[in-house]
Amino acid sequence: MLEIKDLYVSYDMMEVLHGISLKVEDEELVSVIGPNGAGKSTLIKTIMGLVKPTSGQIIYNGEDITNVPAHKRASMGIGYVPEGRRVFDKLTVEENLLMGAYELKDKARIQENIKMVYDIFPRLGERKNQLAGSMSGGEQQMLAIGRALMLNPKTILIDEVSMGLMPIMVNTCFDVIKKLNQQGITILVVEQNANKALKVADRGYVLETGNIIISDTAENMRKDDTVKKAYLGG
Amino acid sequence: MFSQQIMNALAIGSVYALTAMGATLIYGILGILDIANAGAYLIGAYLGWYIYYATGSLAVAFIGSIIAVGLLGIVLQRYIYSPILAKPHTLSIIPLVAAVGLFTMSSDLVRLICGPYSKSYDYDFGVTSINIGSIVMVPAWILIFALTALLLLVLWFILNKTKLGLAWRATANDNEIARVCGVNTNNAMALSYILGYGFAAAAGIMVGLLYNSITPALGEVPSYKMLAIIVLGGLGNPLGTVLAGLIIGFVEVFASAYASFPIPKDAIAFVVLIIMLLIKPEGLMGRKNKV
Repeated sequence: MLEIKDLYVSYDMMEVLHGISLKVEDEELVSVIGPNGAGKSTLIKTIMGLVKPTSGQIIYNGEDITNVPAHKRASMGIGYVPEGRRVFDKLTVEENLLMGAYELKDKARIQENIKMVYDIFPRLGERKNQLAGSMSGGEQQMLAIGRALMLNPKTILIDEVSMGLMPIMVNTCFDVIKKLNQQGITILVVEQNANKALKVADRGYVLETGNIIISDTAENMRKDDTVKKAYLGG
Repeated sequence: MFSQQIMNALAIGSVYALTAMGATLIYGILGILDIANAGAYLIGAYLGWYIYYATGSLAVAFIGSIIAVGLLGIVLQRYIYSPILAKPHTLSIIPLVAAVGLFTMSSDLVRLICGPYSKSYDYDFGVTSINIGSIVMVPAWILIFALTALLLLVLWFILNKTKLGLAWRATANDNEIARVCGVNTNNAMALSYILGYGFAAAAGIMVGLLYNSITPALGEVPSYKMLAIIVLGGLGNPLGTVLAGLIIGFVEVFASAYASFPIPKDAIAFVVLIIMLLIKPEGLMGRKNKV
C-alpha cells in the first residue's frame, strides 16, 4: 500500500503541492486527473524521490520512505514510467531494459524478464539492437513501460502515458496498464486524458493547483457534473 | 617526409585525445568544464618523474602516477565538485571558477615544491630511431601509440562491456532516470574522475618523454586547448574527443610543416574550432540539443 500524508512540495520558493493526502491500496488502479500545471508530475517525482518535499510523509508498505534516496527506491518494488517517456535515447532497446534491471543480480532472471517484456511488446524484441532514440513515440512508450517492469515491481507509477501519442497507441497503452493491474500490480496513474484514465481506474482523484478537490470511485467520478464539465468534455 | 609528418601528427593527436578525454568524461556526467584536468596532466608528469627516478622503472612510473592522480581526482570530486553542485541554484560558472582556481594552485604548488626549472626524464629507449621503410620513427612515438591505444581500448571496454559502463552511459544520457533505475550516480562520477585524471596523468608523462622536458608551466597550453578539443568533439562524447584530438594534431603538424610563413601553432585548434562550429554547431559527434 502506498500512502501520501499531508505532502507539501516547493520549487524555487514557490509551493506547488499544498498538503496532499492520498492512498493506493494493494492491487488497486488509481488515477489522478487534473489540468496541466496542477502538480501531477511533481507528485509522482516526489514519490520517486527525485523531488524533496518540504513536509509530509510517503509511506510504502508500512515503511516511511520520505527520506530514502531515489536510487534505493527501485529495489523496494516501485516502478516508474516518467512523463515524456525519457527512454535512454543513446542506448539500445535491450540496454534500456538492462538499465531497468540494474538492481537485479540474477542473470537468468534478467533474461527471463527481458523475454517477458518482449512477449508483451513483440515490437521491442524486433528492435532490440536499435537505438531507443530512433524509435517512434509509441514504441518509446512501450519501452518506458517495459523498463519499469524489469524489476517485477509490486507498484508502478505512470506519468502522462498518453502524452503525444496517436489515439490507437493511447488505447494500447491503457490496455496494457489494465492487464498489468489484473495481474496484481498496484498502479497509480496521473493523466490529463481523464476519459481514458477514469475508464480503467478503480478510484480517482482530481488535483487542481496543488490541492486535491475531489476523491471518489472512478465510476462516481465519471457521473459527477463538475468532473464531466471540466475534464470529460461535458 | 609526408609519411613522417603523419606519424608525428598521430603522436601529437593521441596525446591531445588522451589529455582531453578526462574533461570529456567529466563533462559527460557532471556537465561541468573541469580545467583542473590540465593540473592532473602536470602533476602526473611530475609524479611520474619522481617515481621513475626513485624506482628506475618507467612502467612503475606510469602505473603509480595514473593511480595516484586518479585517486586525487576522486578526492576533488567528493570534497569540492560534488558539494558545489549539490547546492541549490548553483550557477554553472561556479564549478568552472573552482576548476580554474585548482589548476592555478596546482601549477604554483608544483613550482614551489619541485622548483621552477625544467626536469628531463632522460629515458633511454635503447635506440634513437627505428626505420620502417622510409619512415623514421622516434621510440617515444611508438610508446605513445601503444599506450594510447591500450588506454582507449580499456576505456571502450569499460564503457561498452561492463555494467558500470552501462550505468555511466545511462547517467550521461539522463541522470534522473538513471538514479530511478537504482544507479548511485556518485559512482558514475567517481568513474569519470578516476579515469579522467588517470588518463591526463598518462598524457603528461608521455609529453615529458616526447620532449624530454617538464616544467611547472606544462599544463598551461593544454588547459585551454583541451576546451577546443572537447567542444569540437561534441562535448561529453568520448569517440568525438578522439577524432577531434587527431584532427587538431594533424592540422597543427601539417600547417607548421607546410606554411611558408610563421604561424601561431597553439591558436590553430581554435581556428579549426571556430570554422567547425560555423558549419556544424553541435560539434563533430554531438547531437542537436533536445529538450
